[in-house]
Amino acid sequence: MSPETCPIPDERLLAYVAGELEGEDELAIATHLGECQGCCEEAAEFTALRGVISACCADDVVRWHSFRAPFGIMYLAATDDGLARVSWQQPGPDAFVHELEARFPGRLIVRDPDALAEAERQLREYFAGQRSSFDLPVDLSALSDFDQRVLAAARRIGFGEVVPYAELAKRIARPKAVRAVGNALGRNPVAIVVPCHRVIRSDGSLGGYGGGVEYKKRLLAIEGRRDLSRAS
Amino acid sequence: MAAEATQPERLQSDQIAGWMRRYGADLQRHLTGMLGAEDDAEDVLQSVWLSAYRTPPDMGPGSNVKGWLFRVATNAALDRLARDRRRRAALNGRAAELVPDEHAAPDEGLWKLSEQARARIRERCARLPRKQREAVWLRWVEGDDYATIAGKLGCSEESARANVYNGMKRLRRELFVVWKEEYGR
Repeated sequence: MSPETCPIPDERLLAYVAGELEGEDELAIATHLGECQGCCEEAAEFTALRGVISACCADDVVRWHSFRAPFGIMYLAATDDGLARVSWQQPGPDAFVHELEARFPGRLIVRDPDALAEAERQLREYFAGQRSSFDLPVDLSALSDFDQRVLAAARRIGFGEVVPYAELAKRIARPKAVRAVGNALGRNPVAIVVPCHRVIRSDGSLGGYGGGVEYKKRLLAIEGRRDLSRAS
Repeated sequence: MAAEATQPERLQSDQIAGWMRRYGADLQRHLTGMLGAEDDAEDVLQSVWLSAYRTPPDMGPGSNVKGWLFRVATNAALDRLARDRRRRAALNGRAAELVPDEHAAPDEGLWKLSEQARARIRERCARLPRKQREAVWLRWVEGDDYATIAGKLGCSEESARANVYNGMKRLRRELFVVWKEEYGR
């Protein structure tokens, strides 16, 4: 039988290869494959494809997830090495995935709520005022060495504590690089978990914030720092 | 150790001999239809009897031994065709790029894809429309069923299923491009 005249749709062949058919349905397709060269070829291709996909796509995946949080929809992404993105300013899932594609070229981006369930739980606790530090690995490897050093120093600032930009520059032994430190903080891909909102100006005003200074104020309020409300 | 078969083993051998008589010719014809060559069909059929001996099918009420034998035979033939396809592709192509895999069975190592080919296949998967990509990945890499996929993607089971099918169809077209370029089929 030629593929054009064969009454068995592709979907059935794929379902067969996937082991989704049972009983008579399964037997009917199995028997058919011995009679129809076209379908047999096609099922063999699906079988080959299945092996290739599971062999090639199991590694290097970037997983993402979203959930409703006090700031709006919170988008998270992680590599195998740790949390790589926390963002709540996305127009929607497609925009977030496009952003991830640009950040992680050539990597497979997939939605996987299970992989980010722990990060979601810890963030929810933080928003509810029940958590003061995050126990989550982060993957900042896509950033420059300088940015990574700045963010590592920011990560050591404790809950409710604030540190001026100039002080953070001193802590990474680059006292003159105050502006560069500010820019590096602005590139923090994992806001909140790396608490760049705890870095403020020497005069006590809040300075900038990638997500909008309003959010910086709200995050510091969660940490009991309602005294710091002065925008720059 | 005495080579004498125990009672259950003898029973099992008798049973398999019975199946061979009853279904052997049909299975041989079926496998020849799939594989195109009687020798290959015989090889695969031997592996079917071996599977039946090692992990016998359920023979309780309502079970279907014929169905079980056809399923095992068909899957073994599909695996063989899939392997031949990959091996043929590998042998026709740039053999220098093929990486021997120490852990694979000797004939498997022949067609192991080069890292370059793997990267290109990943890239093709990455270019699928988002929902198709996610559904295909959850189904074939994570091994989730459609109900689980629907839960994770926030869609109906129907839509999860359609996304897997459409993604696979598209990948099938796309991967043959990689296949051809990589190995010149």
